[in-house]
Amino acid sequence: MSLFDVIGPIMIGPSSSHTAGAAKIGLLARRIYHRSISKVSIILYNSFADTGPGHGTMHALAGGLLGLAMDDEKIPLSLEIAKNLGVEFVFHFREDPEKHPNYVTLEFWEENEISQTISGISIGGGHARIIEIDGNKVEFSGRHDMLIMTYKDICGMVALVGELLARHQINIAYMQISRDANQEKALAVLKLDASVPDNVIETLRKNEAVFSVVAIPRWKETLDESS
Amino acid sequence: MNLPKRIRIKGWNDTLNQMNNFGFEDVFRFFLNYEAKNSENSCDYLLKKMHFHWKTMKNAITKGLEKPNITTSKFIQGGAFHMKQFALSGHSLLDSSYSIMISRILAVAELNACMGKIVAAPTAGSCGIIPGVLLSVAEKHKISEKNLVESLFVAGGIGEIISIRASLSGSTHGCQAEVGSASAMAAGALVYMMEGNLEMIESAAAFALKNILGLVCDPIAGRVEIPCIKRNVLGGCNALASAEMALAGIATNIPLDEVIDAMASIGNLIPCSLKETSQGGLAITPSALVLQNQIKDLKG
Repeated sequence: MSLFDVIGPIMIGPSSSHTAGAAKIGLLARRIYHRSISKVSIILYNSFADTGPGHGTMHALAGGLLGLAMDDEKIPLSLEIAKNLGVEFVFHFREDPEKHPNYVTLEFWEENEISQTISGISIGGGHARIIEIDGNKVEFSGRHDMLIMTYKDICGMVALVGELLARHQINIAYMQISRDANQEKALAVLKLDASVPDNVIETLRKNEAVFSVVAIPRWKETLDESS
Repeated sequence: MNLPKRIRIKGWNDTLNQMNNFGFEDVFRFFLNYEAKNSENSCDYLLKKMHFHWKTMKNAITKGLEKPNITTSKFIQGGAFHMKQFALSGHSLLDSSYSIMISRILAVAELNACMGKIVAAPTAGSCGIIPGVLLSVAEKHKISEKNLVESLFVAGGIGEIISIRASLSGSTHGCQAEVGSASAMAAGALVYMMEGNLEMIESAAAFALKNILGLVCDPIAGRVEIPCIKRNVLGGCNALASAEMALAGIATNIPLDEVIDAMASIGNLIPCSLKETSQGGLAITPSALVLQNQIKDLKG
């Protein structure tokens, strides 16, 4: 733990797990989705569903999805901001003892279809993790530079990415591959020691076997003296 | 000074040993370097960061006292504001600075319940204790902001030790882990601020935590309002008294590490119904259930 996990985080109340952690899940999911958001079904589970409404969990998730940081004083107004922007958030409340107490699934809709599903958990102290993307188990908290890509499940894709990153002197700290055999689609989640340059992302996107590429810069601290 | 790449501590005693080994006399300096090593940041940056945290704490006090705070549940209606008016009325039971301290603690805890901007210290539910107590004592004794920020590293270090040996979460160890820890952290920081020695810091933190051992977490309707907000005042007044006893030279018979271990073992024995689940204690009193029923359709 850091001393700034003890004296901190700076956050919008009332709960580090149900408010700050929820905002963080929204923010992380927004970075993964990486497109403009029109409609999200937000499915809250267990403690998030039970005590979420009393802890501003819905406002925090919506705020995070709209790009508000966990200490942004606009979080209590996030549902109205969404309405003004024409973004639709639909909330559902469920119980599932198999799932983590503070679990949420976000279904991003695009023209009457779910285009991406992202699930996250809030683990206390304002910390959160994304644990599932489109049915694939993942695990990350935003502390590293990330590269997330989906591609056709064929030989040589890992080598391709590895070689490309090596050429730019980017070390891979962690790499996780999973696949959906039915769709012949694979998902790679890479934690990196440096951020991915735009030309690498472009090169990957040009590859015919690659469906999507998202680079997420590591969580940067800002000491905003103006606030 | 030759410091390793990472510094790991096991408790207060271990902290003292390591301070000795690495040649630190000042516990603030030790914790500053501890954080610098473990987070790979410069000491200058961390001092600036802690200043920023302190500024945010002070802003929360100011904001929480501006007007009567009313939570969406309506359980809380302007406690801090009324307390401030009372403090200014001259009817305080002791010195008015004591009443003002209470109003400041309430202000931050209420602001938190109203979805305002606070610094969790160590948790959001216990966020009023450290800012309220430190500001009031620093003001009275004309302590510089620099010294106050340094004392926050001591508070953070004590909290870090509690998190290592036990937990800072109400759902794991009950309210003693939130309000009790905040109180111990504040007590240690106060002694450091008033230039007490290491034994006094340990005694102050140990007294504060011992006094709150066994306190359960039983919030009404699952909200961080009743009894949490007033328990912040308990934690603040307890920190002040504990620091004064330590500064008077009264020493703890039970070392801080052992008090923390006792907290963990008590916390493990507390049933789940009394650990943030609102299934026991105050949360299921007839009046609490009436309050809970009043807000059952509220989605905010």
